[in-house]
Amino acid sequence: MNFILDFSVIWPRVPYLLGGAWLSLQIAFLAFCGGMVIGLFGAMAKSYAGRWVRSAVDAYVSFFTNTPQLVQIYFIFFALPEWGILLSPYAAVLIGMTLNAGAYLTQVQLAGFTSVHRAEIEAAETLGFTRMQSVRFVIFPHVMRTLFPPLSNLYILMTLGTSMAAVFGVEELTGRALNVNSETFRSVEVFLVAAVIYIVITFVATLLLAGVGRRFFRAQMKLL
Amino acid sequence: MLQQIIDQAPKFFGYYNVLFLLQAFAATFLLSLAGCVLGFALGFVLAVTRRTADWRLAPLRVVMIVFTEAFRRIPFLVTLMLVFFAFQALKLDVSMFAVALFSVCLIATAFITEIVRAGLDSVHRNQWDAAAAMNFGYLETLRYIVVPQAWKVMLPPAFSFFVLFIKDTALASQIGVVELTFAGKVLANKGFPAALTFGTVLVLYFVLSWPLARFGRWMGVKLAPTRTR
Repeated sequence: MNFILDFSVIWPRVPYLLGGAWLSLQIAFLAFCGGMVIGLFGAMAKSYAGRWVRSAVDAYVSFFTNTPQLVQIYFIFFALPEWGILLSPYAAVLIGMTLNAGAYLTQVQLAGFTSVHRAEIEAAETLGFTRMQSVRFVIFPHVMRTLFPPLSNLYILMTLGTSMAAVFGVEELTGRALNVNSETFRSVEVFLVAAVIYIVITFVATLLLAGVGRRFFRAQMKLL
Repeated sequence: MLQQIIDQAPKFFGYYNVLFLLQAFAATFLLSLAGCVLGFALGFVLAVTRRTADWRLAPLRVVMIVFTEAFRRIPFLVTLMLVFFAFQALKLDVSMFAVALFSVCLIATAFITEIVRAGLDSVHRNQWDAAAAMNFGYLETLRYIVVPQAWKVMLPPAFSFFVLFIKDTALASQIGVVELTFAGKVLANKGFPAALTFGTVLVLYFVLSWPLARFGRWMGVKLAPTRTR
């Protein structure tokens, strides 16, 4: 039971790990943006499209939200080559995460759309707002106010989800932690440092997002 | 390619493979269920401790706040690796399933503490004050006044967390726990088409998760809290 933590070999490799953290943030950001676009189309289709399109969107959402992201990426990475579609690990992870995020963001954005009451739009019309004006001054602020907190929550969860990319050999934070682990064999120390980096980046992201939400969208978010 | 899947399917769904997949299916379910039940018990204790006002418990409260805040911000894969290597460093000889279960418990406790805390907070202050006025102690207030009102608020999100966790346990395959994802990897390595194996695994996850998610949503609607002041 005499185990001593020894960080001395880890310190020189911290910048290397931080580079991985930057890649994690990039993957999360790209997948989030892609997911927002898919989610926007999904939510619009759910609101306005015909019955068949609606049930197709339903099937997409319930399939992707009820199966693990890891296995989805496994499928993309290992099964698609059998059909001749060969993807790099980075691309496979990004596509998997985007599709997964799209399913969750469809649900979130749909909830945001339906939170706008008819009466609000009618009130805007009564006040003589044009359609663009009512979107700009009534609908958009309302939707952002209700959407911003769940969106920022999802963004944080996606940042944590990027650690899955390590399984496919993408050298983001967890992947690089695994590399350092096999170079130095100080396993506990490496993963402690990686954990602290994850805590710090998600903590900073939470603070920033809450600040932006409170400042620009009057969202009810606690800073701490 | 489709032809290959059709050719391989009868062999793939042979007796031993199906048995293997079902065992893995059960392991996935047990891992997330046990993790969430233990996590709920521990999370309840933590949330209750966090609400105490006694100054002697202050250090304990700080530790608990740090614990919940930290473990909600570490990816499950990193937690798994950390627990795995920590057990190894301490020379504790435990099975992989126990390592995974321990990590699941850690994360589940951190998340469920927040859910329980939100549930306790949902009971209006007046109820706490009224209980204090009636000379109820802290635990009595919880037992007779708060929990009977708060469980309706806590159960639906705790349940949806459980469903979320079924999917997260897929990462336990990375340290060699024989659960559904690991079974998929083993069968794919045996030479079955990846589309067939991972497709089957995806369907099995869906079969497990979808009814539970539906049930959770139904329960959430059924238990929609009535606001009492």
